[in-house]
Amino acid sequence: KRNKMTIRLIGFGNSVCTIRVILCLKELGLSYKLTPHAGGYAALKDKDYLANEHPFGKVPVLYDDKFKITESRAICRYLAFKHQGKHNDTILIPNDIHEAGLTEQLISYGSSYYSPAIEKIVMQEIYEKDKGKTPDPVVINQGRKEIEEVLNVYDKILEGKEYLNGKFSLADLILCPITHYAHIAKHSDLWDKKPNVKKWWNRLKNRDAWKKTLEDAKNA
Amino acid sequence: MVIKLIGYAQSLPTRRVILTLNELGLSYELEAVTEIHTIKTDDFLANKHAFGKIPVLCDGDFKINESRAICRYLVSKYQKDAKIVLIPDDINKVSLIEQYISYELSYFDPPLTKILLQEVFNKRRGEPIDEAIVKQAREEIEKVLDVYEKILVGKDYLNGEYSLADLFHFPCAHYVCTDTQQGDIFDTRPNVKRWLDNLRNRDAYKKTYAE
Repeated sequence: KRNKMTIRLIGFGNSVCTIRVILCLKELGLSYKLTPHAGGYAALKDKDYLANEHPFGKVPVLYDDKFKITESRAICRYLAFKHQGKHNDTILIPNDIHEAGLTEQLISYGSSYYSPAIEKIVMQEIYEKDKGKTPDPVVINQGRKEIEEVLNVYDKILEGKEYLNGKFSLADLILCPITHYAHIAKHSDLWDKKPNVKKWWNRLKNRDAWKKTLEDAKNA
Repeated sequence: MVIKLIGYAQSLPTRRVILTLNELGLSYELEAVTEIHTIKTDDFLANKHAFGKIPVLCDGDFKINESRAICRYLVSKYQKDAKIVLIPDDINKVSLIEQYISYELSYFDPPLTKILLQEVFNKRRGEPIDEAIVKQAREEIEKVLDVYEKILVGKDYLNGEYSLADLFHFPCAHYVCTDTQQGDIFDTRPNVKRWLDNLRNRDAYKKTYAE
């Protein structure tokens, strides 16, 4: 059972947040059309874009028929609320109140601790490099220390578990793109050093939906 | 069984939870944390919060941390018995509320937190205020508030009706108003000012800030 192609996604194939939404669409078995914004990242600050798409000039923006929503974490929640369990068995936000609560707690760990630590390094190694600047080794070292501390905690959380809350959920999905970029930036040793974290990342990157997401991102 | 909240009443994340508890009309016991080393012990890290943070909420046998997760949990469990709707049932409305919560996390809080770190926390520790950081953060939040001023045209609340998204924004904004030199950024924008004044005048907010 496939959804009618009502979902349109404005974003870019090298945007962490766009990739997050593509992964969510794939995990839920949804079809969508990706439209990059003409003029690239610079054009996101155009008056039209700010007025009609995203008031802070960001991607992604998702249209489901006429309904528009921005901010990748909100978009993922929308897709889960509306579509989870309809096209396959993947449940991203559990129905049980306590399991949902713990999933939200883990999603919050992602925003509060995991992503910020990695973003420092990814900004230096990928985005600054793209602009022709050399990565600042002091910032990189500090970033690596922070990531190590965070992954120490994640290694304990994952003890005896395949995914952060036991079963695969939005808490795991949300972290895939930024983790992938940390590996591209050649800091995978930090993940490999922690046995539970290493197994967890291996599981995530071998999911069909992730592989399809990377394909879509490459072709975007 | 009484809800137990481990936190510090003046901390912004704890305030977020107390506001929600008060909006839902729930009683709770505050276990005040006054010394930071108590939340960094092995026991606390193993059993309360893996990153050594507050607040932590205990509802019977169930334990949950991270203020926004705690608030969402409280709403999902207790809203049906309360006289208030913080998260509606309609999927589209809920999702737009989540969008505004993401705006809070991504754009609203960070520059305000920079201002608070300088003018409140550095000051408290007897460290100098870095005026350059305050200036940059102020420029950043002014641009953000220009967006909020537009969002709030013809509306009292971000998504039209009052919701959890408005509540989440309040602690940080209010603290900047009461404890820093930068509160005028809210007063000079009529829609933003009206929004914050409406929130301030709610019973649950008066109760929370009276404590």
